[in-house]
Amino acid sequence: MEAIAQGIREAAKKLLSQGAVDCVIGFAQGTVPMRDYPYFAYTPEEADNLTWSRFCCNNLSNFLVRREMGEAGKVAIVAQGCVSRNIVGLIKENQITREQVHIIGVASPGMVDRGKVQALFPLKTITEVTEDGEDLVVKGKDFEERVPTKKVLRQNCYTCVQRNPVIVDEMIGEESEATHGGNIDKVAAPWEKLMPEERWEAFSESIKDCIRCYACRDACPLCYCHVCFVDEARPQWCGKTQDEADVATFHILRAFHCAGRCTDCGACESACPVGIKMRGFTSKIEKDIRELYGYAPGMDLEEEPPLSVYKPNDPQEFIK
Amino acid sequence: MYARRRFAVLKNLLEYVGIEPGRLHFSWISSAEATKFQETVIEVTDAVKALGPAKHMIKDIRKVA
Amino acid sequence: MSENTQFTPRIAAFLCNWCSYGAADLAGVSRLQYPPNIHVIRIPCTGRMSPKFILQAFRQGVDGVWVSG
Repeated sequence: MEAIAQGIREAAKKLLSQGAVDCVIGFAQGTVPMRDYPYFAYTPEEADNLTWSRFCCNNLSNFLVRREMGEAGKVAIVAQGCVSRNIVGLIKENQITREQVHIIGVASPGMVDRGKVQALFPLKTITEVTEDGEDLVVKGKDFEERVPTKKVLRQNCYTCVQRNPVIVDEMIGEESEATHGGNIDKVAAPWEKLMPEERWEAFSESIKDCIRCYACRDACPLCYCHVCFVDEARPQWCGKTQDEADVATFHILRAFHCAGRCTDCGACESACPVGIKMRGFTSKIEKDIRELYGYAPGMDLEEEPPLSVYKPNDPQEFIK
Repeated sequence: MYARRRFAVLKNLLEYVGIEPGRLHFSWISSAEATKFQETVIEVTDAVKALGPAKHMIKDIRKVA
Repeated sequence: MSENTQFTPRIAAFLCNWCSYGAADLAGVSRLQYPPNIHVIRIPCTGRMSPKFILQAFRQGVDGVWVSG
């Protein structure tokens, strides 16, 4: 992992000193363990702060939208599989152009869910977490333990189908074909078996902790609208209370707005302060889109988005 | 036609979260099909009647305030 | 069962101006009887229909939503 971080730093320095890009968007090491944060390097010196690890949970393509471009008119971005798929999506939706981004590709190692690590050490303060091969070394005041990363990955990283970037300008490190062996269809499966009444219970149970902070929306690279539907006041589609109906409306519509666009990057779940599993809703839509229209978001620059085209023989059993 | 794709996804999602299938109906009726309109109104009303009053998704001002 | 027979549902009907709204008009002109439970909302086209409308209708307490193009 350190070799890849070194590669990213070198690539960033080269690009910045040549003036080929205005800025390199990557990650820097956080002050708190397991919290590497998005970092914008504007000078070759700042590029020394860039890093790459299993704690890079944000989706960096979020920062590409509505960027004011500098002299070079171009930014470089560190992208693994899901981020590059989001970049493809943004290009398709005319938010950025391909010429404006320089993609520094890396194969995703699978990101660590810090909640899961903390859960292994209840009531203990973790002061340092380092990576050692396939293991994490977790240190605290009076303990030090090794945890295999395979046990504490984010849920969406288990079901990842695209660890390598889809489009790339330069690749750092080896491409990786291996998956973590999860099946995305199973994320939606447990609910699909339930009866309607039980489903509503399961749904309202899963969103009952929501405090409407909109961290999921802000972390999502798909949510770039100037005025989000939850902020609209006339008419007000979604009240600002924590009433079940308002929270349900927010989560249903947020998931629906991601239809045919969500790349299952998991940034929403990582950003959620109360641990709502919103991938339960988005993965259901993703599955529907795949089964009904044979489309996977962000895999191809040419393919039309599924909800912007139609075929005369689309399924319509539900219409009388 | 674009709407058809949108509704297909939306209906699946709403059923997935627990809105009963009989609460949400879609139909294509041309402006010449008055009988089909009448039949569909009856069908929709019967389906909703059978389900009884809506229980979910209703914003209850008394609870909020 | 007695509850169901007394229950009069409220149904929000989103009708396309050019299709079902015309059909509703024709049904009226032809004196076809249909249940009075639907509350017709005219939309310019089914393409205008947004999921927001459906959820808003449910949120305001309708028992069913019918979208017709």
